[in-house]
Amino acid sequence: MATRIATVLPALVTLMLVAGNARAQEVGDATRGKVVYEQYCVLCHGEKGDGQGHFSQDTTPVPRDFRQGTYKWRTTPSGSLPTDADLERVLITGLYGTSMSSLRTTLNHQQRLDVVAYIKTFSPRFKTDKPEPAIVIPPEPAYTAESVKRGADVYDKFNCAQCHGDGAEGDGPSADDLTDDWGNPIVPYDLTEGHIKCGDGGPEIYRVFIGGLNGTPMPSFADSISPAEAWDLVHYIQSLSPTYPKNLTGAPNKPIDDFPP
Amino acid sequence: MRLIGNRIKGGIVIEFAAGPYLPKACRKPRLLARTAAVVSGTLLLSQLALADSYTVIPVTNGGTIQGTVKLAGPTPTIAPIVVTKNQDYCGESIPNPVYVVGKDGGVQNVEVYLKDITKGKALPTDPVAISLVNTHCMFKPRVQAATVGQQITISSEDPVLHNTHPQNAETNATIYNIALPYKGFSVTKPLPATPELIKVKCDAHEWMRAWIWEFDQPYFATTGDDGKFTIKDVPPGTYTLVAWQEAAGEKSVSVTVAAGKTVTADIQLQPK
Ligand code: HEC
Ligand code: HEC
Repeated sequence: MATRIATVLPALVTLMLVAGNARAQEVGDATRGKVVYEQYCVLCHGEKGDGQGHFSQDTTPVPRDFRQGTYKWRTTPSGSLPTDADLERVLITGLYGTSMSSLRTTLNHQQRLDVVAYIKTFSPRFKTDKPEPAIVIPPEPAYTAESVKRGADVYDKFNCAQCHGDGAEGDGPSADDLTDDWGNPIVPYDLTEGHIKCGDGGPEIYRVFIGGLNGTPMPSFADSISPAEAWDLVHYIQSLSPTYPKNLTGAPNKPIDDFPP
Repeated sequence: MRLIGNRIKGGIVIEFAAGPYLPKACRKPRLLARTAAVVSGTLLLSQLALADSYTVIPVTNGGTIQGTVKLAGPTPTIAPIVVTKNQDYCGESIPNPVYVVGKDGGVQNVEVYLKDITKGKALPTDPVAISLVNTHCMFKPRVQAATVGQQITISSEDPVLHNTHPQNAETNATIYNIALPYKGFSVTKPLPATPELIKVKCDAHEWMRAWIWEFDQPYFATTGDDGKFTIKDVPPGTYTLVAWQEAAGEKSVSVTVAAGKTVTADIQLQPK
């Protein structure tokens, strides 16, 4: 045993060093990012990053104002800044049903990192604050009819219907009077429509109601929902979606592809 | 480059970290290192903020500022809140608590504080300073104050879903947004690392409103139902005393405090 540790440990340390170095090179360059931004983003997000670009009046929802550092789709807890990878992910997936389209083939990984570094300069928060540690998601249990059924009870117990409605069609009693941080009206998602903006994979949905969507009424249930309840709820939401490939064999959620080069 | 998140079969530790695929054993130390960095970063920042603006000195023979806040004119009539959801529990209408004026004219829920005070007594040390209760589809209390580094306990006595959503009062930026899904739910959360005026809303019941003043100095008071306030242990000197009311806004007066003496500073707010 002792010899095994002795041989494994240096190997581990080396690996970590190598990994550390590889990561160190993986930084975005805000100066290069500005060039990307001016070509691909400025028309919507505006020169000052205030969401007031030329096209901003033509889209619902309006393009994001980057000046507060408030981001919806994160791996971090309610209120936290996003990680760079969170921001890059939005550029890869796009946000379904909004004018924010996927840039996965338009921009390569380095360009995405560069433009992420640039959009962070619009908010002073990134200078004084750091993203909190990621939400820990336990392994996904099997997607089964029982889990979906329990998930429907979780939906009731935690009163998602107050905003999303009894049938999860986005028509709960509070649905009509919601506004976001920028004062724009916002509607709870119709969960029977499919194509959840963040993606309908398990961890993506898990994070929506555990982390909340910063800047919107969608709150965090991290302090009230247990991990088992959370996974049942994820399965229930997936069961409502016409676009999610329902697989009752217990296969894991749809994997997101590797980044293109 | 690959996405790590979705591929790990065990507990997912780092979600979508864009980086070279790491062997499983390497992930945990990296997360721990990052956590440690975040924690010490936050501590350092708040310590710096305190050191910059406020220095603790022994105050042995400080003075006291006391007074009453009144309105310079009749109390504006504000229509009751029309309840538009959960009427079976919340009722049809709720008196609007924007101006609460006592029988002698004292205004409740006014925050009175010393502005630009740089030296004085130590900050309170109790970690959980304040609480915000969701009750009968309203927040209680409406206005309160705490100091940097303290925590808030948020709870619900209502059988309907509430969410407690504090925002920076100036920029509207979300601080966090906590669901209170059922009656009896309670949670304790830190206040932001830097002093600010916080506006609290419940998105599910848009009429609910509360205000939290977070200070980096200990000289403040919230008026009670008689409109009175008392600020103690003030080092002798001349200060700007500010009274803030959610609708009337701010009014500043200059006060001079002498050692061991009590000075009265009544304030009149212009109702809006
Ligand atoms: C055609 C308009 C348009 C263009 C071009 C565009 N965006 Fe967006 N973007 C939007 C809209 C609209 C939203 C808000 C979507 C929402 O909140 O549902 C958004 C949101 C975002 C978000 C916020 C995601 C979150 O988690 O809250 C980021 C980051 C972002 N865009 C980055 C970019 C970058 C970088 C570019 C250029 C490479 C870009 N966008 C180009 C319209 C656009
Ligand atoms: C206070 C109102 C409110 C409550 C309560 C609420 N939601 Fe939401 N939810 C919203 C709003 C508003 C949005 C839309 C946000 C946006 O489009 O930016 C949303 C969006 C979502 C989305 C879609 C996210 C995406 O990426 O498109 C999911 C999934 C979701 N909510 C699940 C839940 C679940 C599960 C619960 C209960 C545990 C819940 N919500 C409770 C208001 C609420």
